[in-house]
Amino acid sequence: MSWAQASLLARGLCRGWGGICGAALTGAPFSQVPPQAPRGLHCSTAAHHSDSSLVPRPPEPPRRPAKALALHEELFRQAPDGARDKASFVQAVQKFGQHNVHRRGHVDFIYLALRKMREYGVERDLAVYNLLLDVFPKEVFRPRSVLHSIFIHYPRQQECGIAVLEQMENHGVMPNKETEFLLLQIFGRKSYPMLKFVRMKLWFSRFKNINPFPVPRDLPQDPVELARLGLRHMEPDLSARVTIYQMPSSKDLTGVADPTEPHIVGIQSPDQQAALARHNPARPIFVEGPFSLWLRDKCVYYHILRADLLPPEEREVEETPEEWNLYYPMQLDLDYGRSGWDDYEFDIDEVEEGPVFAICMAGAHDQATLAKWIQGLQETNPALAEIPVVFRLAGSTGELLAPSSGLEEPSPPPPEGQEDEEDSQQQRQQQGQS
Amino acid sequence: MSGCELFLRTAAAAARSCRALVAFTASHRALRTSPPSRAFAKELFLGKIEKKEVFPFPEVGQEELNEINQFVAPVEKFFTEEVDSQKIDREGKIPHETLEKLKSLGLFGMQVPEEYGGLGLSNTMYARLGEIISLDASIAVTLAAHQAIGLKGIILAGSEAQKAKYLPKLASGEHIAAFCLTEPASGSDAASIQTRATLSEDKKHYVLNGSKVWITNGARANIFTVFAKTSIVDSDNSVKDKITAFIVERDFGGVTNGKPEDKLGIRGSDTCEVHFENTRVPVENVLGEVGGGFKVAMNILNSGRFSMGSAVAGMLKKLIEMTTEYACVRKQFNRSLSEFGLIQEKFALMAQKAYVMESMAYLTAGMLDQPGFPDCSIEAAMVKVFSSEGAWQCVSEALQVFGGSGYMKDCPLERILRDTRILLIFEGTNEILRMYIALTGLQHAGRILTARINELKRGNVTTIMETVGQRLRDSLGRTVDLGLTGKLGAVHPTVADSANKLEENVYYFGRTVETLLLRFGKTIVEEQMVLKRVANILINLYGMTAVLSRASRSIRVGLRNHDHEVLLANMFCTEAYYQNLFSLSQLDKYAPENLDEQIKKVSQQILEKRAYICAHPLDRTS
Repeated sequence: MSWAQASLLARGLCRGWGGICGAALTGAPFSQVPPQAPRGLHCSTAAHHSDSSLVPRPPEPPRRPAKALALHEELFRQAPDGARDKASFVQAVQKFGQHNVHRRGHVDFIYLALRKMREYGVERDLAVYNLLLDVFPKEVFRPRSVLHSIFIHYPRQQECGIAVLEQMENHGVMPNKETEFLLLQIFGRKSYPMLKFVRMKLWFSRFKNINPFPVPRDLPQDPVELARLGLRHMEPDLSARVTIYQMPSSKDLTGVADPTEPHIVGIQSPDQQAALARHNPARPIFVEGPFSLWLRDKCVYYHILRADLLPPEEREVEETPEEWNLYYPMQLDLDYGRSGWDDYEFDIDEVEEGPVFAICMAGAHDQATLAKWIQGLQETNPALAEIPVVFRLAGSTGELLAPSSGLEEPSPPPPEGQEDEEDSQQQRQQQGQS
Repeated sequence: MSGCELFLRTAAAAARSCRALVAFTASHRALRTSPPSRAFAKELFLGKIEKKEVFPFPEVGQEELNEINQFVAPVEKFFTEEVDSQKIDREGKIPHETLEKLKSLGLFGMQVPEEYGGLGLSNTMYARLGEIISLDASIAVTLAAHQAIGLKGIILAGSEAQKAKYLPKLASGEHIAAFCLTEPASGSDAASIQTRATLSEDKKHYVLNGSKVWITNGARANIFTVFAKTSIVDSDNSVKDKITAFIVERDFGGVTNGKPEDKLGIRGSDTCEVHFENTRVPVENVLGEVGGGFKVAMNILNSGRFSMGSAVAGMLKKLIEMTTEYACVRKQFNRSLSEFGLIQEKFALMAQKAYVMESMAYLTAGMLDQPGFPDCSIEAAMVKVFSSEGAWQCVSEALQVFGGSGYMKDCPLERILRDTRILLIFEGTNEILRMYIALTGLQHAGRILTARINELKRGNVTTIMETVGQRLRDSLGRTVDLGLTGKLGAVHPTVADSANKLEENVYYFGRTVETLLLRFGKTIVEEQMVLKRVANILINLYGMTAVLSRASRSIRVGLRNHDHEVLLANMFCTEAYYQNLFSLSQLDKYAPENLDEQIKKVSQQILEKRAYICAHPLDRTS
C-alpha cells in the first residue's frame, strides 16, 4: 500500500469515528471537526477496538457465516414494491419471527437489521429499536446465579444487545420504559446491556441541551434558508437583519442553482451599520473568506466585511459630553477611583481585533458575486460608496478550505454527509485497493 | 481657606437668625441674596443632622394662614362641586367653562410675582393649593405644565423685558405655556436633541426646526419654552453644539401640532407632538444665555418637583374618605368590612403614607421659602419619589378594599389608579431621580472626605488607626447621640425613641457612605443598584426627620389629635429604621443579603436571549 492509500484509509477510519462521536453527542462541537489527514495516520482500527472492549464492534461481514447472512438478506429483499420505509422494515423483522420460531440466528439477524436501518430511514425510530430488541428470546439469557453474572452470561447476545443500544446512542435516540422492560426481560437487571441503558438514561438527559447554540436537527434544504440559519447562528446581536441580496435565478428540485446567479444572503446589525458609517474612508475595508461553518453534517461558507484595527494614535477618545444628562451627573468630580479590593477585573490579555461590518453567505465565492453583495450593502450603508473595498479571497484560511491541494479552486465542494462508519470504511478500502 | 469658611458659617448663622423674622412674616420669597445655607440632605451623607434646617417644623404666620384659608375655600368649593372628573376622563378634554373658571380664580399664575399680575404665592402656599387642585389629575397636570415648567423658565431665567412682556398674559391664563424638551430620540439625554436653531444672516432671528413629543398643553399653548441646539463658537474658536432655550410664540409661524395622544391616564390633559418648521424666533427671545439652555432646563426641572408631595397627600385624604365610607357600609358575614384586620391594615398604610409625604412636602416648601434661594433639589426629588410611589401603593390598596366593584369603570378608583401611574414616570422617572439623589449627595460627601480617603489610601497610620478604632467602637454597639433628644432637645420626648432610631441610622449611613466612597470612588456612578439603596435610605431618613419634626411641633403646640400623629410617626420611623438597617447591611461587602451579582447574571442572560429562557415545566428531555 502506498502512502497515499494508507492516508486515505486512515482518514476514512478517523472520519467514521468522528461520525460516532458526533451522533452520540448531538450537536457537540467535535462532531464538526473536519477530517484531517495527519491525525488519521496515528490511529488504527486496533486502537479503536481496544479502547472500547465492553462495546465490541459487530463482527465484520466477511467473518460471518455467509449462508445465514444470505438467508436474512433475503428477508429484507422481499419487500413487495421495493419500497424502503418503516413498514417494510417492520415487516421484515416480523417475518423473521414467523419464519423462525426458535429464533435461530437472531444475533446475526439483529446485526444485519442494525446495518439496514439507515437504508430504511428508521435509524432514529425508537419503536423500531424496541422491535429489534423484541427479537431476542425472553428469559433465556437472564443470569440465574451470582456466578452467572460474574462471568458474562451469554456474552455474544449481550454484546449484540449493547450494539443495539449503541446505535441508538449514536443517533441520539433516548431509550424509554419499554426498552428498559425488554432489557429486563431479556438480560435481567445485572447485565451489561442494562448497565449501558442506565448510563444512557443518565448522560443523555445531561447532554441533550448542553449546546448553548443549538442547531435544528433537520436542516433546511433550501440554500437560502440554510444561509439564513447559518448567519443567525453566527451573529450574536438579535437586532441584526438578514437581507437576501440575490435569490438564486433558477431553482430545480436538487437545489442546484444557476452558477451565474447564485444566492447572496447577508446579515448586518444596527451597531455594525453605525460603525461602518463612522469608518474613516481613507482606510480600506476588506472582504475576506471563504470561511467554513459546520451546521451538523453540512458545511457552509461565509465571507466577512472587516477593517483593520485603527492604530492607537488615530483612535478617537470617547469623552463624555459635559452637558449630557438633564437629570443626574454622569460622572463624579472626585480624584479617587475604585479600590483594589473591589476591582474584580481579571488581568486578561485581550487581543483586539478590527471591526467586522457584515457577514454574507453566497452560492459562489468569486469576486463578481461578492461585489454584488457590496453593492447591495451600499443601499443601507451610503458611507460604503466612499470606502475602498479590497477583496482578499481564499487567502488566510487555506487549511480550512482545501484539505488536500485544491488551492486554485476557491470554492471547494461542501463535503457530503458523513456516511455510516462501515460503509465509508469499506469504500475507502476499496478505493485504496483498486 | 478656613477663614473663608468661618466667614461663610457666620454669615449663614446670621442669615438663619434673620430668616426667622423674614420667612414667617413675609408671604413672598425674599429676593435678597445671602450665602447658601447648608443643605440638610447633603449633610446626612456625612452622618450629620443639620438640625437648624429642619427643626422646628416650618410654620406660617397667622396672617398668612388666614390668607391661605380664604383663598383655599372657593377653590375647594369649585373642585368639589363643579369639576366632573369622570366626564373629563371620559371625553378626554377639560370643558371650556372649567378652564375659564380656573383662570378667573387666578390658578394660572400662582407663582408668578404679584407685579406681573400673578398671585405671587410662596412655595408653602403653592403646596397648599396643590392639595386641592390634585383632586382632578387632568387639571392638575394641565396647570403644572403651564406654570411649574411651562412659564417657570421665564420666572427663573427671563430678562426684565421678557417677564414684562409675557408673564402678565400667562398669569391671567390668556396665554397658556408649554415646555418643549422631550424629543423622539431624547428623553433625559440632552446630547441627542435634534431640534436646531440657526442664526439668520441678519443676526436678528433664529430659525427653529425640529419636533418635540409628548408636550402637555401642546395644542392649547401660545407660548412655548423650547430647547434647541445652536452652534456656539467657543473661546478657542472651535464650533460646538450647545443647547439654548427660547421663548417661542405660536404667532411666530411654522408651529404645528400632531393629533392628541391617547393615554392610559390623565386623559383630560392635552398631550401631543409639536413641530417647528422654519419658525423665526427673534434673538431677544433667547431665554438666559445663548448656549446656556442646559442649565435653564435643569433648574426648571429641579424646581417643580416638591409640589407633588402635597398634591398626592391631598388626593390620598380624599381617597381615605371615599374608601372608609365604603368599608364601613359594605357588609359581609354580617360584619362591615371595617371590622376585618386585613382591611384595617390598609387604612393605617394610607394614613401613614399621607402623613409622611405631607410632612416631607411642607418641610421642603418651608425650606424653599427661606431667604437666599436654598438649594433643595435633593429634598424635592425625594418628596417626588416618595409621594409618587406612595400614591401608587395606596390607590392600589384602596381599590383592593373596593374589590370587584373597584375594577369597574363606574367606580372612580379605576380612574384614579390610571391617573396615578404617571406620577412615577414624569418629571424625571423615579429611577433617574434616585440616581440624582444618591449621586448629588455622594459628590458632596466625596469632596469633603477627599483628604481623609486619600490619606487612608496612602496608608497614613494615624488615620487608619483612627478609622479602625472607630469601627471597633461601632461594632461593639455604641449609642449614637446626635443631639436630637434629651433636655431641651429638638424632638419631643414622646417620639424620642424614634429620634434615637433616626440618629442611629444617620450615623451608620455616614459610615457606610464613607466606606462606599473608599471602595468605589468615582466609579460608583456605574453601581446603580448600590446607588438605589443609598437613595432609598436617604428618602427614609428624610421622611423620618420630617415626621419627627412635625409630630414634635404638633405635640408642643397642642394640635388636635396629635396622639394620632405620634402613632403614625412612630410607626413610620420603626418601619423605616428596619428597612434602613436591611439596606445598610446589603451595602456591606460580601453581605449575604445582597443578591446584586445574581440579579445581574439573571438579567444578563435574559437580555442576551431577549426572552424568558427557562424550559417549560412540562418539558421532558426524552
